Amino acid sequence: MQASRARLFKEYKEVQREKVADPDIQLVCDDSNIFKWTALIKGPSETPFEGGIFQLAFAVPEQYPLQPPQVRFLTKIFHPNVHFKTGEICLDILKNAWSPAWTLQSVCRAIIALMAHPEPDSPLNCDSGNLLRAGDIKGYHSMARMYTRLAAMPKKG
Amino acid sequence: MDSDAILSSSEDMHDANDVESDEEGFYSDENEVASDYNTDDDDVDDYVIEEDEDGINMIQARRPENNYIVLKELDIKERQEDDITSVSSVLSISRAASTILLRYYNWNVSEVHEAWFADEEKVRKTVGLLPGTVVQFAKPRELMCGICFEAFPRSRLKSADCGHPFCFECWEGYIRTSINDGPGCLMLRCPDPSCGAAVGQDMINIFACDDDRCKYSKYLLRSFVEDNKKTKWCPAPGCEHAVNYVGDNENYDVSCLCSYDFCWNCTEETHRPVDCNTVRLWILKNSAESENMNWILANSKPCPKCKRPIEKNQGCMHMTCSPACKFEFCWLCLGAWSDHGERTGGFYACNRYEAAKQEGVYDEAERRREMAKNSLERYTHYYERWASNQLSRQKALVDLHQMQTVNMEKLSEIQCQPESQLKFLSDAWQQIVECRRVLKWTYAYGYYLTEHENAKKQFFEYLQGEAESGLERLHQCAEKELLPFLNADGPSREFIEFHTKLAGLTAVTKSYFENLVRALENHLSDVGCHQAGSLATSSKNGTSKGKGGRGKETSRAGGSSRN
Ligand SMILES: [Zn+2]
Ligand SMILES: [Zn+2]
Ligand SMILES: [Zn+2]
Ligand SMILES: [Zn+2]
Ligand SMILES: [Zn+2]
Ligand SMILES: [Zn+2]
Repeated sequence: MQASRARLFKEYKEVQREKVADPDIQLVCDDSNIFKWTALIKGPSETPFEGGIFQLAFAVPEQYPLQPPQVRFLTKIFHPNVHFKTGEICLDILKNAWSPAWTLQSVCRAIIALMAHPEPDSPLNCDSGNLLRAGDIKGYHSMARMYTRLAAMPKKG
Repeated sequence: MDSDAILSSSEDMHDANDVESDEEGFYSDENEVASDYNTDDDDVDDYVIEEDEDGINMIQARRPENNYIVLKELDIKERQEDDITSVSSVLSISRAASTILLRYYNWNVSEVHEAWFADEEKVRKTVGLLPGTVVQFAKPRELMCGICFEAFPRSRLKSADCGHPFCFECWEGYIRTSINDGPGCLMLRCPDPSCGAAVGQDMINIFACDDDRCKYSKYLLRSFVEDNKKTKWCPAPGCEHAVNYVGDNENYDVSCLCSYDFCWNCTEETHRPVDCNTVRLWILKNSAESENMNWILANSKPCPKCKRPIEKNQGCMHMTCSPACKFEFCWLCLGAWSDHGERTGGFYACNRYEAAKQEGVYDEAERRREMAKNSLERYTHYYERWASNQLSRQKALVDLHQMQTVNMEKLSEIQCQPESQLKFLSDAWQQIVECRRVLKWTYAYGYYLTEHENAKKQFFEYLQGEAESGLERLHQCAEKELLPFLNADGPSREFIEFHTKLAGLTAVTKSYFENLVRALENHLSDVGCHQAGSLATSSKNGTSKGKGGRGKETSRAGGSSRN
């Protein structure tokens, strides 16, 4: 508990310092609970998520960093490895491939990479996975694009 | 209901065909073993009797060479240590590195050597054994731990071969988490995600607590058995021995030190002379039909004459109704026992299944219904005999134990004979136990013999019938005819006669079963020269004297009990 708190505090300070260094990620610690974080990440360019801002919620366990944080999308996203309803993410480093050397920041980076390179073979969103596996890139794109516009883009006016 | 039954009937045919094609190869491989087995029946040394801790004797055919070794926990450790030492010295690497390599190559020493000398660099890369430190640091006094991000003096940091530094506390946490996650800890790598350097037992021993070190060693030991293609755990509940198989995939029967006999190949209980595939199909079939078959396992049936329920509490299949009725019948077919024990007309038919005759003209639906009904009836016939022999064997095991621990001593007192002269009693019970096992599996075999192998089927049923009727006589004699002597006040002349009879029945039964086993292991290939009919010479004596009952090669099935 003490170790995880100390480690999270180090990450907190690092985030304050690096704010400008990675403009695609904005990590925010909950005011009253250092084990709760949210992040805003930018949809990677040349993907249907481009131009969108996606919100992630982190729940950090007491055994952190020996155990991985739980992360989910708060923003709706049409992606084969993200559960459409719950926002749950299927990503190996959040499960068995976790290493305590990862940070919340590097998890965000890994999620951005996942958005650009979906893994249709381990789908949490079957509709999306099926489109990709059937080679219907266009169909996948237009669905993903539509949801990005609907849910992840600031409304104009 | 009907459609279910029809389904199962077509599945039966399918099963039978599968077995057919598979068995051809299996049995032709087995020919050599089969002929090695008990070639001279007169040699008593053919059977090795060992006594285990529980006092249950095991009877086991001696092999030309031992094709397996039972390993206790200490033996497993010793072998593992030896392999680690040998690889470590041949490759000039640490024992921890040697362990990592061996685990990766499933503890196969020669595979490790081969891979290593073919391409050491590639092997090192795949298993994470780096040739030297990859991370070089200028020499600052302090470095940052890659997990907690605190700065530490160099002396308070430790790294795997790669050089990525982590503090002691973080190493402890990392290793504890991994060990408590399960056997994956045997493949632990450096915490740095980009690294991949192996973290071996040397690091575990530095940073894990006693409990976790112990868990790690257990996983390592388990891996030595479970990842090794030639070693398996004994499947008996609670047994911690492993069996290392060194034979040539011919005879898989092994006998653990805990007294459990099993087939090393499929880890079911020993099923010789039936092959693993038949056993697998049969067990699958049984679990699919288990709901239909529960009633068979009930141990009470109505007397076929007076309809009073009779409970089966003995091992042999010969039932006698209560004193008022006294009808003697067969537990399995409910026929009169007089048609069984002494083979009337030279034909013992209780083991045979005869489908109901299909007479007259059936329309298609009727015909299918009839087939489905027959299919279930046919399965029921074989299953009931399989299951009854299983139960009977369990009962016999208990009786054998009782004989060895209590009754032999008691009889020795009553009959004024040294216990060594009563060995014929435990011999008889051992024979019964083994024969019940063989007989049981021949019913699985019989189920998968197809109708169009008619000659084989007849020959098989003849041999099985001979063996079974011999066994029933032996079992009955050992079970019931002994009782008066156990309750007698003193020695009696009749006990000598009983001795002769039981020893004779033991020998006769043994030879019947040897014939049966041999024939099945040859896949009934002798059927051409031995037609069942010509073999059906009567052998009405269950009381052949002394050694007279020993079947010679020449007498085969029919005339093995000479007077
Ligand atoms: Zn540390
Ligand atoms: Zn490393
Ligand atoms: Zn055992
Ligand atoms: Zn087997
Ligand atoms: Zn009766
Ligand atoms: Zn019968």
